[in-house]
Amino acid sequence: MSSSDPTAVRSSRRALGWGFFLSELGVLFRRRRTQAMLGALAAVPILIAVAIRVTGGDGRGPAFLDRISQNGLFVGMTALVVSIPLFLPLTVGVVAGDSVSGEASTGTLRYLLVSPVGRIRLLVVKFASAVVFCLAATLTVSVAGLLAGAVLFPIGPVTLLSGDTVDVGEALLRALLISVYVALGLLGLAAIGLFISTLTDAPVGAMAATVVVAILSQVLGQLSQTELLHPFLPSYHWLDFADLLRQPIDWSSFAGNAWLQLAYVAIFGALAYARFATKDVLS
Amino acid sequence: MARNQKRWAVAIAAPAVVAVVVAGGVLATSASADLPEKTPEQVLELAAQADVQTFSGTVEQSSELGLPDLSGFGGSTGGSSDGSGTAADRGLSPESALELLTGSHEARVYADGSDKLRVQVLDQLAERDVVRNGDDVWLYDSSDDSAVHTTLPTRSDDSSDEGAATPGTVPTPADVAQRFLTAVDPSTDVSLGADTSVAGRDAYDLVLTPRTDTTLVGSVSIAVDSETGMPLQVEVLARGASSPAFEVGFSSLSLDTPSAELFDFSAPDGTTVTEKALPTKSDAPDASAAHPEPVVTGEGWGSVVELPVGTDTAELTSSPLFSQLTTKVDGGSVLQTTLVSVLLTDDGRVFAGAVPADALQAAAAAAPAGGAATAPATPAE
Repeated sequence: MSSSDPTAVRSSRRALGWGFFLSELGVLFRRRRTQAMLGALAAVPILIAVAIRVTGGDGRGPAFLDRISQNGLFVGMTALVVSIPLFLPLTVGVVAGDSVSGEASTGTLRYLLVSPVGRIRLLVVKFASAVVFCLAATLTVSVAGLLAGAVLFPIGPVTLLSGDTVDVGEALLRALLISVYVALGLLGLAAIGLFISTLTDAPVGAMAATVVVAILSQVLGQLSQTELLHPFLPSYHWLDFADLLRQPIDWSSFAGNAWLQLAYVAIFGALAYARFATKDVLS
Repeated sequence: MARNQKRWAVAIAAPAVVAVVVAGGVLATSASADLPEKTPEQVLELAAQADVQTFSGTVEQSSELGLPDLSGFGGSTGGSSDGSGTAADRGLSPESALELLTGSHEARVYADGSDKLRVQVLDQLAERDVVRNGDDVWLYDSSDDSAVHTTLPTRSDDSSDEGAATPGTVPTPADVAQRFLTAVDPSTDVSLGADTSVAGRDAYDLVLTPRTDTTLVGSVSIAVDSETGMPLQVEVLARGASSPAFEVGFSSLSLDTPSAELFDFSAPDGTTVTEKALPTKSDAPDASAAHPEPVVTGEGWGSVVELPVGTDTAELTSSPLFSQLTTKVDGGSVLQTTLVSVLLTDDGRVFAGAVPADALQAAAAAAPAGGAATAPATPAE
């Protein structure tokens, strides 16, 4: 087989793409910072569960809080409600904002591009690892919540928002769906972070700007004066994951969330491509 | 540089594609239908004959009555009185009723025949349910995990009491439309607007315009399904306004029979259940004091309802909302919305109507104070 055989070239390129993606994931998840962020996310449900266990769970708090003492499966959901406004966007902002500018600031970006990695592929791989991180982050919250709930509270059939009851198996399935839903909702923010990351060589700036976008989106979502904008904000569907806890499941928000995030990924992915492909990489 | 331009062209093309897709979706939903010509009478008849009792759908309601957003108040009042604030209180309190009438709400409605009904008011991270299965009626509120159970009197074969079974919920389009259709009389001009499309179904647009200009209501338009005659949407416009002040309609509708499990409801474990005899108060704030005979003056759209002294206005006026919502006028306080005005006089009488506030004041001045008293007067606060 000669080296000019096109299929061989293609397969080796594809292998390179997967290898690059896997090595990128390895770098991301071996990083102390990433592990610390996932640890902090896991601490949220554990803190909630312990606090409820100690105090008895009376009083006011986020949604589902009062149900935890009866059913540990609600720990993860309460933790998601708590994490969605700030913690999750913060961690996604750090990962996505760091994706390109981090390489630029440590001077490794040009070496990546010198090796046969196209700029598009680099962006795709960076975005793909951010997607994996989104899922890992939400699963961390859910799984830590499940474990903490199982240890500290009884586990049993779950009462849905509609007042119907489902068994533990279906409840776990729905918890998984919720994790996917929340991760999906963060993709638009990850794309925005990737774009911002191509604009600058200072990763801290890109991270901060991405988190600011997330907060701005939620502030605008609270104001009734900007009501026309609401359906177009990336955070619009964030808390609608509760629609998966209705009987029957209300899939409309899942679809709405997917389309909205797809639009953000398309727009900011294209912007990131245009910016990054035309950029003079000097560092 | 040409390559760079091409790359930026991609970046500009992506938002353009997204915009086209979004605009296409918007246009597709608002595309007007081309239905066979009908006179308003024929459409009214079509609506009167409507006999759709089995369906499932999503109802969206939005109100711009010119009142502040009360969704926050609804939650806080429920939470502050956690011990006693069960679904019963929340579902029937003036705050809850006001909260449902203002702002925007989404509800899923499932109906199978005349005696199986389930309404789910979809709040964010919470849900309020009304389930009727035969004579059993359940109210369930997920935010405080409480339920109310009521058994209807067995004679309830007359299927018209849907309204009674749904206290504290978003009215279905059928309820609202029926209310307006019965009000169609010589005081009202009935015409047909352009054909519309609601929830993907072609519909006639019945427009009711009051002939008098003493009322705040500009027009009421009812979208009548061209196939079944079922009212799909009701919009109420204030006089001179271009967008609806109150709107309730289906955003999706299926005429298939909903799953029987949906009506099979019993209180989940750990729920605070209140057994209740038939609720004597209904959901609407105006009707909450319906037992003493109200006095109606004027006629048609301009009529004013007077509720006698002694109705439980104390409950209303002691609410912290009251001072926020009302303005002080000569002889009382006025709750002014874009469609309805309510006057609470200082001597405890209540006047309400779809008329400007000064018409209510005139009516209050004309009616002798205490003339309609049937119960001992409560001290004015």
